[in-house]
Amino acid sequence: MSEEEVIKAISENFGELVVESKVLRPKKVSITVKPEGLVSIATFLRDSLGFDHPLGAGAIDYPAENKIQMVYYIWSMNRRMLIMLRADTPRDNPRLPTLSSVWDQMNLHEREAWEMFGIVFEGHPRLEHLLLPEDWEEGVYPLRKDYKLPER
Amino acid sequence: MVVSEAKEIMRISWGPQHPMSGQFRFILETDGENVYEIIPDFGFTHRGIEKILEYRTFVQGIVPFERLAMVDAANVGLAYVRAIEDAAGIEVPKRAQYIRTILCEISRINSHLYAIGLAAEAAGGYPAIFLWTTADRELFLDLAEMLTGARWSYAFFIPGGVRADIPEGFKERALKVLSYFEKRLIAYRDSWLENEIWLTRSRGVGRLSAEDAIKLGAAGPSLRGSGVELDMRKEEKYEAYEELNFKVAVQKEGDCQARFMVRFLEMIESTKIIRQALENLPPGPFKKPVPPKLPKGEGFARVETARGEMDVHVILDGSDKPYRVKVCAPSFRNLYVISKLPKLTKILVADVPVVIWSFDPWYLDADR
Repeated sequence: MSEEEVIKAISENFGELVVESKVLRPKKVSITVKPEGLVSIATFLRDSLGFDHPLGAGAIDYPAENKIQMVYYIWSMNRRMLIMLRADTPRDNPRLPTLSSVWDQMNLHEREAWEMFGIVFEGHPRLEHLLLPEDWEEGVYPLRKDYKLPER
Repeated sequence: MVVSEAKEIMRISWGPQHPMSGQFRFILETDGENVYEIIPDFGFTHRGIEKILEYRTFVQGIVPFERLAMVDAANVGLAYVRAIEDAAGIEVPKRAQYIRTILCEISRINSHLYAIGLAAEAAGGYPAIFLWTTADRELFLDLAEMLTGARWSYAFFIPGGVRADIPEGFKERALKVLSYFEKRLIAYRDSWLENEIWLTRSRGVGRLSAEDAIKLGAAGPSLRGSGVELDMRKEEKYEAYEELNFKVAVQKEGDCQARFMVRFLEMIESTKIIRQALENLPPGPFKKPVPPKLPKGEGFARVETARGEMDVHVILDGSDKPYRVKVCAPSFRNLYVISKLPKLTKILVADVPVVIWSFDPWYLDADR
């Protein structure tokens, strides 16, 4: 199954939920979906397309467009292909459904995105501080663009 | 094993005062000798490297980036450099690719020797092996120093190539070190990997099946020790690896011994790679100029570091600094696998150091 066929399989099943899809490089596919389709598309990727090996997840802040983009990186052992599953969420009220039920390990990555970007993952079992200290000031998200390093 | 069956749960804090390679804490929930939970407590060495990189130019950023895993500085630094090159579409001269490969493998041997030395300590009463590996590592640190000028933090790879050419006499010295080291590897095998005491401590301990290793997201030797063949050097074919002949070390058992056997076999392959790269070193320039400002774009690099696959995602916005750098670190994933291990297999308190060190987590790259 080539990169285009993976994209085709997703858009055939979830046509209106897919915002954008492209082949970044050989064996690297990027697909942006609507937040409401995140869990069903992720489950489809895991169960039907064989994306079984989670690599990580992180977010990117775009203050100019008032959005934060969450990116999940998943590798398929059988297809030997990487997929970047992205979802945009508004910056003033970032909320996304959790994918920790689909890929176990996303639990930790989502906790990190929560404390660093303030994305609230609905249904997450344990949204607590991971890397930052427990007494970190509430509402301060260090990886957002408007947070400046104190020494700079 | 279910916690409620236990009579009395005792929580033990393992760390954060340097449980092995940095400040990290594991919370162990135990009942007598049985461990029911290993809860990793992240963040003691969080330095905000992803944020720091947004304030540094591409070349400046290489120095803090290598601090993710200093013991394996070349491979880790390469992940960042390759991500930038991928984003800006920079091709690297052939000679630079070979020099990079040589330093990466020196770095991998350094890192594996360190891991093996500490594992011998963790298994209890092998200071001799730790001293051996430290002494042998010195030879490779000296080689790296000859090439880069630094023993640990090289900052030798830059976008577009490497900082310097191979110095005169490097090849002869490297070949001498390699032929000595190949003899030493046999000594390691005979006196440590096949030693009855080590085998008792490691065989069948901390077993991770291939299925679980894939599902939970294990990386590097931990994945290959469970029989899954995945090596970014073969998969991504970066630098000179495509042209060199080497095997991916895979072991089926999935226990602590298998994970170390993978590291041991990888060191043998590394010596082969360095030999081949030195023999086939192509002539030509070792770097090419790269403008300080790079065009808008997005790059993704996957590099096989000593601890496993490190993925770096960079977003460029047209300035001389990256807009965002996301690091998917191998130790972060392996620490997650460790936390799930007591659910999959029986672990005793005495096994904990061996089990954790068999995953070779580098807490600094997990915390970033």
